[in-house]
Amino acid sequence: MKLAGNDMLIKSLVDEGVEYLFGYPGGAALHIYDAIFNQKELQHILVRHEQGATHAADGYARATGKPGVVLVTSGPGATNAITGIATAFMDSIPMVVLSGQVASHLIGTDAFQETDMIGISRPIVKHSFSIESAEEIPKVIKEAFYIATSGRPGPVVIDIPKDTTAPDKLFEYSPPELVKIRSYNPPVEPDSEQIARAVSEILKAKKPVIYAGGGAINSNASKELFELNELLNFPVTNTLMGLGVYPAKNKRFMGMLGMHGTYQSNMAMHNADLIIAIGARFDDRITNTPDLFAPNAKIIHFDVDQSSVSKIIEANIAVFGQVKNSLIELNKQLKDKIDSIDSTLIQPWLDQIDEWTSLHGLNHELYKENSDEKKIIPQSVVQHVYQITDGNAFVTSDVGQHQMFAAQYYHFNEPRKWINSGGLGTMGFGLPAAMGVKLAFPKEEVVCITGEGSIQMCIQELSTCSQYDLPIKIININNEALGMVKQWQDMSYGGRHSESTYQSSLPNFIELVESYGHIGFKIEKNSDLRGILDEAFSIKDKLVFVDVYVDPDEHVYPMLVAPNGSLKDMWIDKDKKV
Amino acid sequence: MMQRKLLVILENKPGALARVVGLFHQRGYNIESLHVDPVKDVENYAEIENSLNLKLKENEVSRLLITTTVSDNLLRQILRQINKLIDVLIAKEEI
Repeated sequence: MKLAGNDMLIKSLVDEGVEYLFGYPGGAALHIYDAIFNQKELQHILVRHEQGATHAADGYARATGKPGVVLVTSGPGATNAITGIATAFMDSIPMVVLSGQVASHLIGTDAFQETDMIGISRPIVKHSFSIESAEEIPKVIKEAFYIATSGRPGPVVIDIPKDTTAPDKLFEYSPPELVKIRSYNPPVEPDSEQIARAVSEILKAKKPVIYAGGGAINSNASKELFELNELLNFPVTNTLMGLGVYPAKNKRFMGMLGMHGTYQSNMAMHNADLIIAIGARFDDRITNTPDLFAPNAKIIHFDVDQSSVSKIIEANIAVFGQVKNSLIELNKQLKDKIDSIDSTLIQPWLDQIDEWTSLHGLNHELYKENSDEKKIIPQSVVQHVYQITDGNAFVTSDVGQHQMFAAQYYHFNEPRKWINSGGLGTMGFGLPAAMGVKLAFPKEEVVCITGEGSIQMCIQELSTCSQYDLPIKIININNEALGMVKQWQDMSYGGRHSESTYQSSLPNFIELVESYGHIGFKIEKNSDLRGILDEAFSIKDKLVFVDVYVDPDEHVYPMLVAPNGSLKDMWIDKDKKV
Repeated sequence: MMQRKLLVILENKPGALARVVGLFHQRGYNIESLHVDPVKDVENYAEIENSLNLKLKENEVSRLLITTTVSDNLLRQILRQINKLIDVLIAKEEI
């Protein structure tokens, strides 16, 4: 079959199973857009800003496990995509970004809308390609998808000079059947001797903790993790990125750990004698001061990325490989030694954790407050949303206090339901990510829990939601300030709220969303909260925006004491430090 | 902390060198000296060919010699980060 460069590009994407292409047209990408016009196999979603395209593709990828695909033009189209590429990179999300480029003969001449996309994106991509001739398009696309999705996933950029997609030159379309990149061989199967060493430590542990992160979700290892802990009955904590990989309703689940983790999770990690890290990377929100981290713990670290192991915290036993495969082998070896598992060994430890939970655990009944003498607190909004959706919704979030409240109070029992920007902490992520999730799962409830600060960073995508009829729910936890910034200013800067408030300049969100054809509700009183939320969630065919005014003085707790604190050093309340 | 010499063999492709050099800056490592050339003496790299199970052709890969002053732990981390780059065949300490 003979095809032009632009048609080969689209055909290659279709052959990779791409359903949606999130993008925005422009000069250097026009040949490609013409090829999109002439086909029906993949649907292009026209966003309102390229950042929205990358976050939508990212949300799609996180929810489905399939790579998200983005198409932007050169210059500003490419640079606008950068924040979303960095977001995907930090959270190891598979994504392929196609960026138009000026024609080959113009590269390096400061041509109109020329920018060095390969150079600009280099530190935030897993890999990048620059197309040199049209013939190589099918091969490069295939390699890009392979790299984006294998090993530790990540974004791959393909920069495409305009001449390589010209419609007037035809080439034989013959993509390679298999991809083999000789310099890229990510580990898959674990070393069974390392697993045997892990087993002997596991059987001896008196104070073990399983600490699982986003890597376990990327590797689709939640079933294997669950099986592991049916054997061990160890306490489990998840990182912000790992929420859902172990069911929150399980009695061994302690909640999230780290900066705003639960008291019992942080105390368990600090006092553990064995930490089993599964697809987690000991980042600074988790460890607090690395030198003070878990002083008595041996570390077994399962990861596909060798450079993530012993980077911050030295591992005693490292197991490289796909986490799923490693857990399958671990479970097999443990089952062979099932008689050696002494469940009484950890009983005092489980009792200790129960005691910590009852001492300073989170209060999951804050929603019972219905007096109008008190302001609505943000935690209770999340608790109501959790109840109304039976804990089954996909929840996207933005970044800040509302994100932490959602992570703490919405209980995720399945992986890929909690969609947030953990590593980069990108405000503006939530709404476009929710679009990507809704396109992938049109029949599922998709809720974006956001704040009035974050939502304004990609609010233009409300228009995209109108165009494609995406009936998501947006819960705007409105404290009329940049809440997390303000919390830090309260705690560390003498309450000087430098540039964290808007002085009555917020839009009327209800009128704003109505102008896009959506429905808006405003809630200001505790006595209205549940009723209006119920009404909002009863609407299934329209985007609903609920603007909830909450107590602006509320802080997120627990909060690790930093700098120079350990995991046991926490603020439990505004005036209580442990 | 001591001075180390690193050897990196990478595909001789546009942009490959920039990925290695960029990584040092990105991760806060320091480069003291840098030498790069296409590998013509492939016969001297039989050990690498064997460990990776491949045959090198003349000028097909580039050789990078980098000197940097780092601790043992950081050296291991740097090598892992460089080895993770898609175009890198092998990065190791040259003793």
